Amino acid sequence: MTDLLQQVIIGLRIGSIYALVALGYTMVYGIIRLINFAHGEFIMVGGYTLFFTIPVFINVFGLPAWMSVLVAIVVCAAVGVLSELLAYRPVRKKGTRMTALITAIGVSLLLQNLAQAIPMIGPNPRVIAQDIFQSGSINLLGVTTNLTAIFTIIIAAFVMIGLQLFIHKTKVGRAMRAVSENKAASTLVGINVNKTIVITFAIGASLAAIGALMYCAQYRSVTTTMGTMLGLKAFVSAVLGGIGLIPGAMLGGILIGLVEALVTAYISSSYANALVFVVLIIVLLVKPAGIMGKNVGEKV
Amino acid sequence: MKIKRLVSILLCVMMIAMGASAALAEDTVKIGHIAPMTGGLAAYGTAVNNAIELAISEINANGGLLGKQVELITKDNQADPAETVSAFNALLGEDVAAIIGAIRSACTSAITGLANDEGIVLITATSTADAITEEDNYVFRSCYKDSFQGAMCAAFAAAQGWTKVGILYTVGDAYSSGLRDSFLAAAAELGLTVVEEQSTSDISAVDFSSQLATIASAGVDVLFAPYYYNTIGPNIIPQAREAGYTGPILGADGFDGTESVAVGDLKAYENVYFTNHYSPEDPSPAVQDFIAAYTAVYPPESLNALAALAYDAMKMLAVAIEKAGTTDHDAIREAMVGMHYVGVTGDMTLDETGTPAKSVSIITYVVDGDKLVQKFVTTAQ
Repeated sequence: MTDLLQQVIIGLRIGSIYALVALGYTMVYGIIRLINFAHGEFIMVGGYTLFFTIPVFINVFGLPAWMSVLVAIVVCAAVGVLSELLAYRPVRKKGTRMTALITAIGVSLLLQNLAQAIPMIGPNPRVIAQDIFQSGSINLLGVTTNLTAIFTIIIAAFVMIGLQLFIHKTKVGRAMRAVSENKAASTLVGINVNKTIVITFAIGASLAAIGALMYCAQYRSVTTTMGTMLGLKAFVSAVLGGIGLIPGAMLGGILIGLVEALVTAYISSSYANALVFVVLIIVLLVKPAGIMGKNVGEKV
Repeated sequence: MKIKRLVSILLCVMMIAMGASAALAEDTVKIGHIAPMTGGLAAYGTAVNNAIELAISEINANGGLLGKQVELITKDNQADPAETVSAFNALLGEDVAAIIGAIRSACTSAITGLANDEGIVLITATSTADAITEEDNYVFRSCYKDSFQGAMCAAFAAAQGWTKVGILYTVGDAYSSGLRDSFLAAAAELGLTVVEEQSTSDISAVDFSSQLATIASAGVDVLFAPYYYNTIGPNIIPQAREAGYTGPILGADGFDGTESVAVGDLKAYENVYFTNHYSPEDPSPAVQDFIAAYTAVYPPESLNALAALAYDAMKMLAVAIEKAGTTDHDAIREAMVGMHYVGVTGDMTLDETGTPAKSVSIITYVVDGDKLVQKFVTTAQ
């Protein structure tokens, strides 16, 4: 029983990170129907920002390490907005949805290779030696859990509640929902569509920065390819929950995390990755729009 | 006009100089070396090249080989198999007596077949994959092979009385799964029982907490985890301790370098053991003399086990060339076969495939102030 509880906590912790990253995929998809394959690289940008700023925050400012996430949020949001302004928007004006998708893959490769080419970053993994959250562990119902896992789950929960409130209670959030439903009609009622899209990119990338903080707190190392597998799993989470739906991304992320941990513990650790994708295929066969998705016909 | 004349004079001078250097070169024994001098593994390439240069300068100070000075020609392969092939072909064009290289097993295996076809001795200092020397008659090495390391790890565990073993490895990586296979084979002979075995599907995994929680609750005496330092340091060791496992963690030469990527409480890194090619703390005079000679010329932080292996590889080649009495490629190969050599990295005898049976050093980590340092435990044969 304690074994199961331990695996569930591990699953929740991994799942929280997937959920945060999945939110970025789903928000961008919801608003411009683009699968932003560069989203995994936003996490990498966040990771390296943390790698460079954490020593400065601790040694120069004397602030706690996790505060450097504020810098990471700003940097990630800037990279997200720049990729929208310089790559996606011009392509969207001229090309089809397919060209936009290829552009996203291009931006992803560009960011990854650019990072490798910068001598300060380079291809070798870097280690974050400092504890990001308070180190130590607590005993929870007979299971010893490290505090990082607890912080990860709590922060993810708060961010998701905050995002839900933002989307439903603020004017900008309402504009985002309107644009995702119908761009032309949103323009008619006076919503600045382009500005709303830029804000969506900024928020999505900021969530990636928070995801990067949790990743770094747990795994302590950053590489230029760290976003690839994480991004892929998060994308799967978003599709599983129903792409374009914010609660779907959260549910999908947590589910994928739990499946991964439980499969590893009770079925086979070598097949954990494969089974995650099997789960996705089964869900999509039964419910093509994802767990929370409703089957609606394409608007013409 | 003036410029034209100047250029032609310059060209003449250059041609004379080149002719002179070519004439000079014929009086030297040329050794080719292929290593990553740039790119991600440049640190390895630099250390190995330094050590070969050191060995050559010692040989030259003692009168060289066959009465001639030894000349090293190094080609950069950027740790890339395709580049390794071009470097190999370039060295053939320079008429070298033998070739040392390359660092990664994947690079070396790209040229082992070529070395055989061309009939030139290729000696690798660092490629431990089992298959490297198995198929080709002209390929030798100064390091042991992976399956030997796995067996030595099992022997060390048995000697310590750790009979219940947990294994964590990667199915999708030749290094990790190769070590696991040879460990299992030796463990069965030594009477060790594997109570829990867990794996990950690829080598770049970062989360092992599920697997480690299962291993920890299985109650094992020792955890065998054949991974590289970049995973062992920031991920496996801290996560194993978090999962409540306090026992010994055992691995192979991939652990070397963990001290540079340790995170959090360094106490977690104690009770970790690994096999390596040599230990700088080994008190034997061969090791201490090599370290003194190396650090006198090159930066001490660049010194590692690979450098010691490369130093031995160059010295073995020198012995073979002296014995052959010529730089004829086939004669050098004849002289290499079955060689017995005592070097920095131990007492070795080349087996029929060209791989030495030799001793390994067992190394552990201790916390020294605010950093982690390697400590020599024992040598095992």
